[in-house]
Amino acid sequence: MAILLALGAHPAHAEEVLIVTARTGTVETLSRDEAEQLYLGRRATLATRISMLLDLPPGRTRDHFYRTLTDKNPSQIRAYWSRMVFTGRALPPKEAADASDARRLLLENPGAIGYLPGRYADDPELRILLRLE
Amino acid sequence: MKNRLTARLTAFAAALVLHAGPVAADIESVTFSGFGTLGAVASDTDDLQFVRVGTEAPGSGRLNFGSDSVLGVQGNFGFGNGTEAVVQVLARHTPKNNYTPRAALAFISFAPSPEFTLRAGRLRVPAFMLSDSLDVNYAHPWVRPPVEVYTLNPFADLDGIDLLYRTRIADVDLELHPYFGRSRVNIAHYGHASLSRLRGLNIGLSKGPLTLHLGYSRARLDLRWGDPEFDRLQHALNTFPQGRLMLAEMEGDGASASFTSAGFHWDDNRWQLIGEYAVRRTSAFVNSASGWHLTIGRHVGATTPYLRFARNRQNSPIVSRNLSMGLAEIDAFNASRNNSQRSIGAGLRWDLHPNAAMKVELARSRIENDGWGAFYPQGDILSTRVSGRTVNTLSLSIDVVF
Repeated sequence: MAILLALGAHPAHAEEVLIVTARTGTVETLSRDEAEQLYLGRRATLATRISMLLDLPPGRTRDHFYRTLTDKNPSQIRAYWSRMVFTGRALPPKEAADASDARRLLLENPGAIGYLPGRYADDPELRILLRLE
Repeated sequence: MKNRLTARLTAFAAALVLHAGPVAADIESVTFSGFGTLGAVASDTDDLQFVRVGTEAPGSGRLNFGSDSVLGVQGNFGFGNGTEAVVQVLARHTPKNNYTPRAALAFISFAPSPEFTLRAGRLRVPAFMLSDSLDVNYAHPWVRPPVEVYTLNPFADLDGIDLLYRTRIADVDLELHPYFGRSRVNIAHYGHASLSRLRGLNIGLSKGPLTLHLGYSRARLDLRWGDPEFDRLQHALNTFPQGRLMLAEMEGDGASASFTSAGFHWDDNRWQLIGEYAVRRTSAFVNSASGWHLTIGRHVGATTPYLRFARNRQNSPIVSRNLSMGLAEIDAFNASRNNSQRSIGAGLRWDLHPNAAMKVELARSRIENDGWGAFYPQGDILSTRVSGRTVNTLSLSIDVVF
């Protein structure tokens, strides 16, 4: 709910999602292909080790993120992940409580990457790896 | 054979532990999750009941809760350094007519690089496109994957090793999945079958909304039937030489079996198209048969109505006509172990909650003249006609993941 309200208050960034890591983090670059593979569990890590992959709770940012990156809608993503998890192939990204919790986890874990709504674009503590519109 | 495999697994596990070292062997992360289905299927005839041939015992009563109901709980234990253990315990209606839980997965996996994953222990026999998620009905549009294809191989548990190699070429994700091991299943009511020297290769390709699957495997098959009707037949056949030749085709050790499957899955945000074809070739004990299904679904809001078509056909019976001398008892034996039928189903999946889906399917199945399809007689087995009949079934289920 907090995310929805925040998005409503920032219409300029409403449809942008950022894949981010901590400014001091170990991951310096991320291609769109790599991001898609990570968030679909088709690879577990990158050349630079990823210690944590973060997800947001169900909501507009998350839906938009998966739609843009993977072209899958929320129910497709859930069915897809149930296949990946219960075949023992991959574990889904760790779900943060909300965007600010995701930001906190990113700052605490130098090898973590996650995605945040566009209003975090100017956050000096974060490094933007990819912009999804 | 068993010892050799065990030795190899032990060596592999030891290598993993040595690699991980004493510190990293500590569990770094634990994740528990689960899935379940509560389902019921009813047929419109008093004397025939729908049954998932090969994976459950025939029940009694017109309403069958055993075919689709399932509960699975899984733990993932991360040890760091790309080493992980996965244990999944699963309960569903078994050929022994109980719900005794079994370990559906119990393996150690090791990923030396992002592309490679080596796994050893209790894995899945990946015979079909959807083998891996066969029990996770939430992952599928239907109440259950079409039985015309999915009863062709009842072996679910692979005790052995496999390798997953994943790479991306241009914008195509490729997965190569070789595997080796053995498998065992119970057969209603007190029979059993096993595959040994089971080896196979699966190839998966994904590009945007399209996924393609190709798979091939071979194994040695040993089988013992275990029901009162077969015992009587066996007793009678043992009394004359030609009968013993027939028996040698019906059960025993050392048959060869191969399995081929090819499938596709298309899901853009509007249409869902799924199709699969599978062939089972055996030298004895079970019939050689093939099956296909085709499903077309349309996403409408939170619902996905679908239509599906499916067919199972026999390519050669267990005991050939030349050998059976036209004995009615042998024809009946062949028919009772021939799942050939064709069916049309109309259904709906409703995503009523982020972690739950409700499904309904109405299907019309025409059992072939020389088979029993996916049905089992309710009353007297010998006097109930199964072959050649048309049966309507209504299936309802609720699937959850947690």
